[in-house]
Amino acid sequence: MIPLAAPPVDAAAVSAALTETRVEVTSEFHGARIVLYGAVFTPDGKPADVVVVVRGPEQPVRLVRKIRVAGVWLNSRPVVFEGAPGFYMAASSKPLSSVAGFGVLRRAGIGVDHLRIEAPEEARTVTWYGVRDVVVSRLGADYLDWRRAVIRLKEKSGLYKVDPKGVQYVDQGLFKAEVDLPTEAPIGRYEAEVWLFRDGRPVSSKTRSLTVEKVGAERAVYEFAHERSWLYGFACVAIALLSGWAASIFFRRS
Amino acid sequence: MDLYLPIAEVSVNAPLLVALGAFVGFISGVFGIGGGFLMAPVLVFMGVPPAMAVASQANHVVASSTSSVIAYSRQRSVDWRMGGVMAAGGVIGAFLGVEVFRLLRLLGQADLVVALSYLIFLGVIGGLMLVESLQAVVRRRRGQAAPRRKVRHPKWLYGLPWRMRFPRSRLYISILPPLALGIFAGVLSAIMGVGGGFILVPAMVYLLRMRASVVVGTSLFQIIVTTAVTTVLQAGRNQTVDILLSVLLMVGGVLGAQLGARASNRFRPDSLRAVLALIVLLVGLQMGIGLFVPPPDPFAFAPGTGQ
Repeated sequence: MIPLAAPPVDAAAVSAALTETRVEVTSEFHGARIVLYGAVFTPDGKPADVVVVVRGPEQPVRLVRKIRVAGVWLNSRPVVFEGAPGFYMAASSKPLSSVAGFGVLRRAGIGVDHLRIEAPEEARTVTWYGVRDVVVSRLGADYLDWRRAVIRLKEKSGLYKVDPKGVQYVDQGLFKAEVDLPTEAPIGRYEAEVWLFRDGRPVSSKTRSLTVEKVGAERAVYEFAHERSWLYGFACVAIALLSGWAASIFFRRS
Repeated sequence: MDLYLPIAEVSVNAPLLVALGAFVGFISGVFGIGGGFLMAPVLVFMGVPPAMAVASQANHVVASSTSSVIAYSRQRSVDWRMGGVMAAGGVIGAFLGVEVFRLLRLLGQADLVVALSYLIFLGVIGGLMLVESLQAVVRRRRGQAAPRRKVRHPKWLYGLPWRMRFPRSRLYISILPPLALGIFAGVLSAIMGVGGGFILVPAMVYLLRMRASVVVGTSLFQIIVTTAVTTVLQAGRNQTVDILLSVLLMVGGVLGAQLGARASNRFRPDSLRAVLALIVLLVGLQMGIGLFVPPPDPFAFAPGTGQ
């Protein structure tokens, strides 16, 4: 059936919430699982697709390539990549490619292929065939291999994940997505974006934030070590000397 | 029981770390070495980032060495004067080493230099010690007397200026060789995260010709000073010392070191050296082999800038 006139504004909307908005890193911290749940409102009853994107704080990374020189595997010069989130998850109810087109996903930054991971230090602008300010990378044709390696290595340590079955419908219009934070997940502020797509176009989105922070003794130690690092160093040595001395006293008596 | 390390930001099995500390502490107490060369590879295998492993274990070595130096000093087998000269060199070396290490990390070549150092130093020293100690064991089995050592000390050792008396070691030599030895050990301490005992002990026996009974205690004394300086420098410049990791290793380490120092005089010295040589050789080869095996992934993250 073809509708006579499409509504000027799509009335569909999505709403979502996280089971936890604060993850505490204590001595027992072993990663965390947070559930994002939400509801889809579609007044006309037509199907819609939900995509959940969770991004951690951005961290530049240094990447090296192993090269073989005279039978020995060496590291190449390190390349700094910027724009890589410390954690990234894209969950949907079906593969991203069938939710929306390439351009739409790229603009919204949905999917690991659309992350803006770049190596600005390697880039330079040149004039090619009379065209000015063409950006080329010193990494040359291998640039994509490097960029893909950043994603692959992050995926291997559980920090990046694309899950085409990550959004599950629990009831009519009611969905949930699980966010698994590994132990290596960086400390900081995370953003969870929930997108509602219809006919390949984003019609509604919501953003929820989440903080991962160290608390209690872990936080105190971390701050001491980073803010008064020299004093911390002396304290560490003092503890070591004392415990060595205490052990020898203890053993002399026993 | 898993514990989250606040600085290293990984979760590790606590009882396993205590056991590792005790094992390395025991070896350290028996042989007069810091044992760092053994611990770093195991920690990295357990998932601790290499920079954190190297710096935190240096702090553990401070504790276990203190514990065994006190035990040795009761037996009057520490030459404080010799140890002090070497420690002065160790401090200079540690400063140099931490700077060299920073530079290597910037160039992305730290892994290579660490692996090569392990392969070359541990391989050569382990190999030489193994040959020497096996010869001694074979001679003992056959009932032969040990060949007379050249009593004459090498000439270069006596031709150098600034001679000093070391009564406990029964030496009257220039301070330059022990100072140079200390500098060398200090550089290694920063780069390999070790105390340098596996270099110092043979060098003190074969180069300086010190009395064997004071070698181990003196080497441990110099190791305390060098690793303490390394710990402070690593904490201050690189923020790579995880105190929780150090404490877990220490708990086992100080106990192990005490037991080790007591057990050391129950073994025959030549078989003891053969065992140490074998351990040193194996660790060196294991670290070095990594250079020749094709990596599973052609790319890897280099430490620095975040993760």
